[in-house]
Amino acid sequence: MNWYHILALVALVACIVMFLGHFIRLIRLGMPKDKAKAQGSTPAGIRYAYINSMMPQHKESAYLHLPTYAAGIIYHLGTFLSLLLLVYSLINIFTHWAMPEVLGWIIGGCLLISTLCGLGVLIKRLVKRELRSFSNPDDYISNGLTTIFQAITALFMAFPHLPAIEMVYFIISVLFLLWFPLGKTRHILYFFFARLHLGYFYGRRGTWPEH
Amino acid sequence: MARTLDAMKQIDPVKREKALALLADISDSKLRTHLNSCVRCGLCATSCMYYDTFHEAKYIPAVKVDIVASIYKRYNTFLGKHAPKLVNARPLNEETAEEMVDLLFGSCTMCGRCVAHCSIGVDISYLVHKGREMLAEMGMVPASLQSTVDAAVQTGNNMAIPVEEYTDTIEWMEEELQDEVEDENARIPLDEQDCNIFYTLNPREPKFFPLSIKAMAKIFYAAQESWTLSTKYYDVTNYGYFNGNTAEATLIARNLHDEVLRLKGKRLILGECGHGSYANRWEGPNYLGHSYEFDMITAVELMKEYIDSGRIRLDKSLNSEPVTIHDPCNLVRNGGMFNTLRYVLHASCSNIIEMNPYGNDNHCCGGGGGQLAMSEYNERRLGIGKIKADQISKSGATIVITPCHNCVDQLLQLNHTYKLGVKIMTVAEIVANALIL
Repeated sequence: MNWYHILALVALVACIVMFLGHFIRLIRLGMPKDKAKAQGSTPAGIRYAYINSMMPQHKESAYLHLPTYAAGIIYHLGTFLSLLLLVYSLINIFTHWAMPEVLGWIIGGCLLISTLCGLGVLIKRLVKRELRSFSNPDDYISNGLTTIFQAITALFMAFPHLPAIEMVYFIISVLFLLWFPLGKTRHILYFFFARLHLGYFYGRRGTWPEH
Repeated sequence: MARTLDAMKQIDPVKREKALALLADISDSKLRTHLNSCVRCGLCATSCMYYDTFHEAKYIPAVKVDIVASIYKRYNTFLGKHAPKLVNARPLNEETAEEMVDLLFGSCTMCGRCVAHCSIGVDISYLVHKGREMLAEMGMVPASLQSTVDAAVQTGNNMAIPVEEYTDTIEWMEEELQDEVEDENARIPLDEQDCNIFYTLNPREPKFFPLSIKAMAKIFYAAQESWTLSTKYYDVTNYGYFNGNTAEATLIARNLHDEVLRLKGKRLILGECGHGSYANRWEGPNYLGHSYEFDMITAVELMKEYIDSGRIRLDKSLNSEPVTIHDPCNLVRNGGMFNTLRYVLHASCSNIIEMNPYGNDNHCCGGGGGQLAMSEYNERRLGIGKIKADQISKSGATIVITPCHNCVDQLLQLNHTYKLGVKIMTVAEIVANALIL
């Protein structure tokens, strides 16, 4: 085990602890204590919020911006895949399981596509004057770091035996893990609570599900 | 505006602390969730009438979220406290407050269209309201909006209509009703106890549109309903919801609630008013801290009940002109009334043409969020209303129906400004027109 392995493990623990802090706080705070009489079904509204209302045909933010929407979906899938692979890589420090080369190349290829999508989103923020006008360093750091994390994950999956890549991979992972719960990247957790509250709101009122 | 600008010269530190305390609210997870969720993707821009009309970045809903979230971050998050520039964490000072007034009061109708379309699901209207609450704590509510609330608090109705003027109008409408239905026993009861229905009005009705009172009275007459109006607390509106002053909103809601109890009304029927229905039905019990002791529904729901039960009979051929429906945001998108409203109107009209978009996706008329009461922003309000005016024009309808008197007022102004040449009616008016007596 190298020093960067240890750093990565420590960063992962720190990341989990910080996210757990956010999570436990939200759970303890609970849902609003609404005294108004419901006219719709809250569970149905919540289900609708997570599934139907997320479909591109239901959201202007999706159907009016299909390229950005598609890039965003691929980018997020890439982030989730990279996180899973990071956990795998950390476990693999101890198990030394050799991933088949073909699988490594396939994963690397997929992550290359998601990296390009992340890069596209970043470029859009840099190029579009209006978007730039209300962006802050967190937007660029979160987007940039996540994109680099995916890119280096792709490289590491494709070339797992190159020590330099391995070291850079774990160092970037450390940076990513430490920023993850602090920057706007923490929306990975808050997103699910936002949908929950939205489903609760529209469900109680009978607006969702839409028939 | 003068009052607001004066207040901005220096924020009272005690009031500032109270405003900041609102962001540290730990009564539930909703506020914390929405303050931490926006990723500033900017895809909400085209859902907002202000942005669609003026094409300025400051009108993007994410910017409105950001100004509230940036203050939250400054005082409540690790990076905001220690590296504020990194996350655009801003202090609550005069400059920020001035920007908040313009963005949260002057550039948002709280219609919630951006909420439904947000890629994350951030409740932007809720955060705008939270920002308004902060401004209210600091005494920075636009003067015209505050005067509307003051009138409601001091007189019981937001237009400060004297009781005598109001009762004269009601008596006049009662005579009109008797003439129309040819029955001298037809009544518009005032202050009667133990009635099945306690009905409420938007003060614009007795002040400017009394015929809508007569229309609803005709429906009650046809349904042989036991009902009453109050002479003191009949106002369904609650601009305390819009000015962000929860204490004032609570007082206004309590006045109405207590009046229903005083007159022993069995059901509170919320007259045709979007925000009034929202503030009473969805916020009232939370303001007062308990569920209401009586049933509370909107006038449109009551009309549906009458149609369903056969208590009123309608001939929709009596309304054969092409009509279109304007969906008030607080009744439809934020109130779940889409199907109920369609049910009543399809039973009353034979030629309905929907606007595009409509229903839960409909555009605000431009008068929501208290905009109609804020003369400071009249130009903007009429500017964004062009979207609705264009929708109406494209529909080809000659009548626009909406169950909200504030919407009626804005639509009348749009009708005049954009020369639409349409007639604006409430649901009660169109239903009354189709009644078979």
